[in-house]
Amino acid sequence: MNSPTARALDSRSWMNEKFFLGMNSREYLKSLATPGDFIAGLIMAVGIPLIVYRFVAGLGATTNLSQTNPWGIWIGFDMLSGVALAAGGYTIATSVYIFGLKDYHPIVRPAVLTGFLGYVFAVLGLCVDLGRPWNLPVPILLSFGGPSVMFEIAWCVVLYLSVLGMEFLPPVFEWLGWPRARTWALRMTIGLTVFGVMLSTLHQSSLGGLFLMAPTKLHPLWYSPFIPAYFFISSIAAGLSMVIVESALSHRIFQSRADHTVNTDRIALGLARGASVVLFCYFFIKLQGVADSGRWALLTTGYGCWFLVEMLGFILVPSLLFAFGARHSKVMLVRWTAAWTVLGIVVNRLNVSVIALNWNVPDRYVPSWMEVMVSITLVTMGVSMFRWIVNRMPVLKELPEYPES
Amino acid sequence: MIPHDILTLYSAKMIEYGIAVFFLLLFIPFWNYVQSSAVATAPATAKVRVPAPATDWFGLPVDRLFHRGHAWLKHEADGNVTVGLSDFAAKLVGPLTRISLPAVGSSVGQGEMAWRLVADDGKTVDMLSPVDGTVVEINGAVAANATEAESDPYGHGWLLKVRPNRLRANQINLLSGGAARRWMDDVLVGLRGQLVPSLGSLAQDGGAPMHGMARAIDPEHWDELAGALLLTGKEERHA
Repeated sequence: MNSPTARALDSRSWMNEKFFLGMNSREYLKSLATPGDFIAGLIMAVGIPLIVYRFVAGLGATTNLSQTNPWGIWIGFDMLSGVALAAGGYTIATSVYIFGLKDYHPIVRPAVLTGFLGYVFAVLGLCVDLGRPWNLPVPILLSFGGPSVMFEIAWCVVLYLSVLGMEFLPPVFEWLGWPRARTWALRMTIGLTVFGVMLSTLHQSSLGGLFLMAPTKLHPLWYSPFIPAYFFISSIAAGLSMVIVESALSHRIFQSRADHTVNTDRIALGLARGASVVLFCYFFIKLQGVADSGRWALLTTGYGCWFLVEMLGFILVPSLLFAFGARHSKVMLVRWTAAWTVLGIVVNRLNVSVIALNWNVPDRYVPSWMEVMVSITLVTMGVSMFRWIVNRMPVLKELPEYPES
Repeated sequence: MIPHDILTLYSAKMIEYGIAVFFLLLFIPFWNYVQSSAVATAPATAKVRVPAPATDWFGLPVDRLFHRGHAWLKHEADGNVTVGLSDFAAKLVGPLTRISLPAVGSSVGQGEMAWRLVADDGKTVDMLSPVDGTVVEINGAVAANATEAESDPYGHGWLLKVRPNRLRANQINLLSGGAARRWMDDVLVGLRGQLVPSLGSLAQDGGAPMHGMARAIDPEHWDELAGALLLTGKEERHA
């Protein structure tokens, strides 16, 4: 049967199978009538018009940003925290493909996907924050500005986003049923992983390097010449913790799509071991930064107490909890600790970019409800896209016709 | 002459070196602590029997696709599928007095409750459908006598014939061949752990799996155990 009608029918059934999970449009829409979809839809129904309004009316109408406080939660949360938490892609890919820890192979694809979507929505958050987002291609194509840290970040993020996209091509080609393209994409994996970890090392640290030129603005307890190293090391812990959280949630929510031969508990405990060591080292490195600055007296101030909360509550305690949980095989403790660590990374990035920045200036920044709503919308869009992809593509489980390579 | 006070001149450096030494002293025991495991393992000299593979105990025919709720599906020439409960499910729950099957013409959904197993002590365990579709036929022999499904779950003990409406999408969530065997092996490892928890994954001393394994493990709450294994516990399931 090769008539135009037959071809149209074939094409429609391919679309139905690939995009609508084999359902017709009415059945598909009915399947979206869940409480989670309703809440996500509500958030986007409010948030997307707000984003449009931001571009129509400008930053002044939608944010509490000012000349004194030009960076708010769109940078602190969406960009800085988003990029840190998306570090799971390079940490897991490096562990599996460079260090040969094949036990973690089942979580490479979800980690890469989390990383890719994390960067996509971090860049979207950046575009929403930029005064003239249409100028984004300028440092890439026209005016370089080599000495600028921002130039290096721009290039690294663009390149790394491309690397993550290409790392995720094998499941896309498997979904499309293109075995040759899939084989070609798989051959690039090692090279992409090496390139990816180089780029990540560069831009994760450079995001901290942005604050090197603000020694008078950033509170002395958070400011340090070592802040690029802090950002890079904490990104490793952030990535590992985010992968533990994502893995736990994915295997619970997407049970029918998950590979139940994979021992996710054992993987979580292994990641916890790594995270505990990284956090332990990170704590002492930050302590060295305080010693180097000689600012022990500031620990008794209000900001000092908050710094101690971050150091002890969000770095040292999670390190010890991860160690205890991994040693005693307490998977639930490990998962909750991972969620706490993710929160701690967000707290750290917000401290550096918003809370402890301009700490001695009367004009303090408090985000507007519209800024908060836009951030929530971007996160919701990222989660929805993750769900859309996992429900269709072989992310949590390999397809029998494409065995593990 | 002003005495040189090294500690005053280099106090910050002394603290930094002190922190570095303190870190190194702590790091080694911390590393050992993290890398070790407090969970008891069998001593290296003890003989560990390698557990028998799943196919030795429970049938997993190669022409069936298995849902992780332990139901199976078989393609038929007329485009419909035959659906039943697996050998493992039959041995887990049995002996049965009745199997409540859905009515002809009713809809079933993959991952949704499809039929109910009623045991001789009156307790019930639900099972999930492996496929979306409409029931076109039920096995009258099984509806009349549940032991048919227990004795020959892959043959005369089939339960339903279903006209599927999303078969290709449903098949993504089903297991066969090597994947089914590995899944079944993992289920058995978990089950053996419950049989003799203190021995971990050591095998029992021979023997075939008994009918009504769930009752052997937990006579009082066997239905909850069986429900958990057949994925019809209290959690909501989605296809």
